[in-house]
Amino acid sequence: MTSTVATRPTPVMDRLISRTVQNRRPLSVHFDLTYRCNERCVHCYLDHDDHGELTTAECITVMEDLARAGALFLTFSGGEIFLRPDLYEILAAARRLHFDISLKTNALLVTRDRVARLREFGVRRVQISVYSDVPEVHDAITKVAGSLQRTLAAIPLLLEQGLQVKLACPLMQENLLAYRGVMTLAEKLGIPYVLDLTITPMMDGSGGPLAHRASVSSLLPVLQDPALHGCKPQPGAGVDSAVESSLTSLGSAVSSGIESSAYEDLPCSAGHNSCYISPYGDVFPCVQLPQAAGNLRRERFSDIWYHAPQLERLRAIRESHLPVCSRCEIRSYCERCPGLALMEGGDLLGAYERACELAEQKARVAGIFEPVSALHKERQAASSHATSGNEFASLAGDSSPN
Amino acid sequence: MSSNSGVHWQKHPALAWREIDEATVIISPNESVMHELNDTGSFLWQNIDGHRSAADLAALLADNYEVTPDVALTDTLSLLEEMASKKLLVPVAGGGESR
Repeated sequence: MTSTVATRPTPVMDRLISRTVQNRRPLSVHFDLTYRCNERCVHCYLDHDDHGELTTAECITVMEDLARAGALFLTFSGGEIFLRPDLYEILAAARRLHFDISLKTNALLVTRDRVARLREFGVRRVQISVYSDVPEVHDAITKVAGSLQRTLAAIPLLLEQGLQVKLACPLMQENLLAYRGVMTLAEKLGIPYVLDLTITPMMDGSGGPLAHRASVSSLLPVLQDPALHGCKPQPGAGVDSAVESSLTSLGSAVSSGIESSAYEDLPCSAGHNSCYISPYGDVFPCVQLPQAAGNLRRERFSDIWYHAPQLERLRAIRESHLPVCSRCEIRSYCERCPGLALMEGGDLLGAYERACELAEQKARVAGIFEPVSALHKERQAASSHATSGNEFASLAGDSSPN
Repeated sequence: MSSNSGVHWQKHPALAWREIDEATVIISPNESVMHELNDTGSFLWQNIDGHRSAADLAALLADNYEVTPDVALTDTLSLLEEMASKKLLVPVAGGGESR
């Protein structure tokens, strides 16, 4: 996920990230329990039919394997997780296994009783999708009348029980100008928010959701907005010799936008210390990199994680080896995603148009004069070469004897 | 021996934690505080089960690390007190809680 907010890790978190990247431990796992959903968001990349979800027992076996492999941060998502009738059994197992549990939900089915159970099972954070503070805008995206009202009604219930709530607002054509309202809403509620500029193709690679993607030029007001500071800073904590403690904005290292020096020269954390599991047991490096490394109905997690050739190949990639992007002069403005490079550009190692355009726009906003990405420079050079070749051919034609 | 050495402790049930490559990371969900235990801290953490007293834990520490029993007990009590103050541990009345 691309966010406008990057969180600096605490020293404890930074060491944890370094250790897990170095030793290839699956620190953070995103586990979709279902693709079924009670909303029909226009930009969604999922097929909502049930093609054979993991059973309760299978989910618990997967979590036991994850715990043994060293996974700590576990995010349950969907689809809509509350459509799983066995959600609480799964959460109870996650609690027994001592995971740090986060949920992603549209919150339509959240009630006071359900929140109490989330609290009972140690859920720490809940991320809720909110597309606008204007009901007509939000509901037009979810295609569910009254959905914003129901979603917002859930937030106080979660906060009352001490759960952390974060608003997630994917920005697209339909709600591009609504982001200020979402920011204000979050500030009124005293909770963090994240604006997400990423609209991805369907997981099968088809591009339907891309029709809703805002053009790079239309994103200019967002990129220029000085008010985008995202997560509120939290107070510090003491550090001592026996137990080092830090208040931290914890979570998936990728989806929360955490930056760490441990990721230096890595395209991202996918496959290094994080992964994604589909409701059908497929293990992917990331939800945005849908190349299955194996299936948990046929193999154990650790066999896939440590031995799948797809993950080995991914782990070998270094930013400095990328054929085009490593030469890009505006690389520091780019949020290139390997998964999108594959899905949109056809090459895991390649550059792709959207990232280059966004990087150029961000560089321009930062005051760089006429920034051009390496991909576009290559194209310009090729075009120039082709033009001069044509001119030569034309001249040759002119000078040929009659 | 300290009067606290007979207290039995158990891990706070709300915590998330994992031992990853010989260090233990613990997260307090209420405060979102992340704690990291060093090697000996991790060893004690693994053995805190609601059954063992501080004296039992100190004896284990002395058996597994090159420290005298007195030092082991002092260090164990200090660490237990610290972890209790951070709400990572809760006392068990009379011991005997399940692991």
